Amino acid sequence: MNIAHSRPKILAPVGSFESLAAAIQAGADAVYFGVEQLNMRSKASDPLTQEDIPEIANRCREACLSAYLTLNSTVYDHDKRLYRDIITTAKTNGINAIIASDMAVIAECRRQGMTVHLSTQSNVTNLDAVKFFAAFADLIVLSRELTLTQIAEIVRGISEADVRGPGGQQVVVEVFAHGALCMAVSGMCYLSLHSNNSSANRGACIQNCRHRFKVHDEDNGQELVIDNEYIMSAKDLCTIDIMDQLVATGIGVLKIEGRGRSADYVYSTVQCYREAVAAVGEGTYTPDKIAAWKEKLSSVYNRGFWEGYYLGRKFGEWAEVGGSKSTRKKTYVAKGIRYYPNIKVAEFRLESGSLKVGDDILLIGPLTGVVYHKVEELRVDNMPADRVEKGKAFAMPFKKRIRPSDKLYKLTTTEYAQDPVLPQ
Amino acid sequence: MPKIQFYRNKCIGCNICYETLPHRWRLSRVDGKSTLVGGVDKKGIYSAQLFPDELDANEFIAQACPVKIIKIVV
Repeated sequence: MNIAHSRPKILAPVGSFESLAAAIQAGADAVYFGVEQLNMRSKASDPLTQEDIPEIANRCREACLSAYLTLNSTVYDHDKRLYRDIITTAKTNGINAIIASDMAVIAECRRQGMTVHLSTQSNVTNLDAVKFFAAFADLIVLSRELTLTQIAEIVRGISEADVRGPGGQQVVVEVFAHGALCMAVSGMCYLSLHSNNSSANRGACIQNCRHRFKVHDEDNGQELVIDNEYIMSAKDLCTIDIMDQLVATGIGVLKIEGRGRSADYVYSTVQCYREAVAAVGEGTYTPDKIAAWKEKLSSVYNRGFWEGYYLGRKFGEWAEVGGSKSTRKKTYVAKGIRYYPNIKVAEFRLESGSLKVGDDILLIGPLTGVVYHKVEELRVDNMPADRVEKGKAFAMPFKKRIRPSDKLYKLTTTEYAQDPVLPQ
Repeated sequence: MPKIQFYRNKCIGCNICYETLPHRWRLSRVDGKSTLVGGVDKKGIYSAQLFPDELDANEFIAQACPVKIIKIVV
């Protein structure tokens, strides 16, 4: 990826091969992923491992994407061999950079000649810190708590002082564009560690900030009434409606948060932000388009949106729900069996619930990525059918190839939906 | 005799087990994960018999483990 290019690049989160396929399909410029336990999603149920690095690197290379590996948790002495091995594997397989925050990891990257991107975990908030870290990192992810004015000043300062990284190019600035925000300064929260011995800084945050809380007066036993019980759960960052201002700061990379989120989230967010950045560049960034992007973003996992700290608000905006406010939800119904390319028909087996003509469906797979579709015709035992019940194999016309590793979901609207649109 | 089971693959190397009971738990410098001293490996699940005097400490460890991969079978 030519990171000195003027249009900001879209950096997509990858926590699975399904998300990787979705990021490629949606047109991301680069992806970031973590392996083993030394990244901020170490508690993932099915984490990627070192053995997955060659395949991820290959698939990114084939699709002309850059791939960055996160190695940004707190590290201890007993982790030394592991992070050294991970960096070696990444380097051998052509991973473009390591996203690091700990000096030990940064020093090891330098020893092995591996490019470093400085993680937001290092909380860089000023130009002098950028100059300091420029001795080690070619790209710096700024703290998520800065305002647009502060970001623009840092970017201008880099240009004026010609701050260059170890690679010889001017240091590139990356900021978060979309996704979950912490109630505390990015990732530096100790709440989860205190309550459950589960350190957010080792990637094992249990997200107690997302729970409901009451304020209890110990002296008189009274409980204070709070309008919103979710007083520590920040809404999700969404910059789609301030994209012109964000691009104007001169940042080089827009990062989408969400390695723990599903492939359809990756697909929709990457697609929306790619289109928004292009529209700003072409001068076609209009309120109508913003409304359509926002509607599409609302259809995948979200806790409600705000612009984060970019507009300089003093306090965060708190979510009104513990989980997602997405306007659509997906329910697993079937798995892929085979595809008949000549007649463009896909065969599935219904493993749960039911499916009928007219249902909106979503297919997700590690090679297929994400495909949205509407059921227009169903065939069971080679006979037309209006409905399929659990246990039955069925076929339907399908525009894209499906595979046995694909999972089919039924999409339904949730209580948060007003007039949802089907993502294209 | 109570038994301890350790699902090692999911360990994130947080250190709490070694910190609490260093004669029973170690931290591997090879892969950064915990090692159950005296544990017998069966498809990635390590088991060992526990002496009565180390039961309480291991129960604490099982409860404190952030990824809940330690089980005590009494």
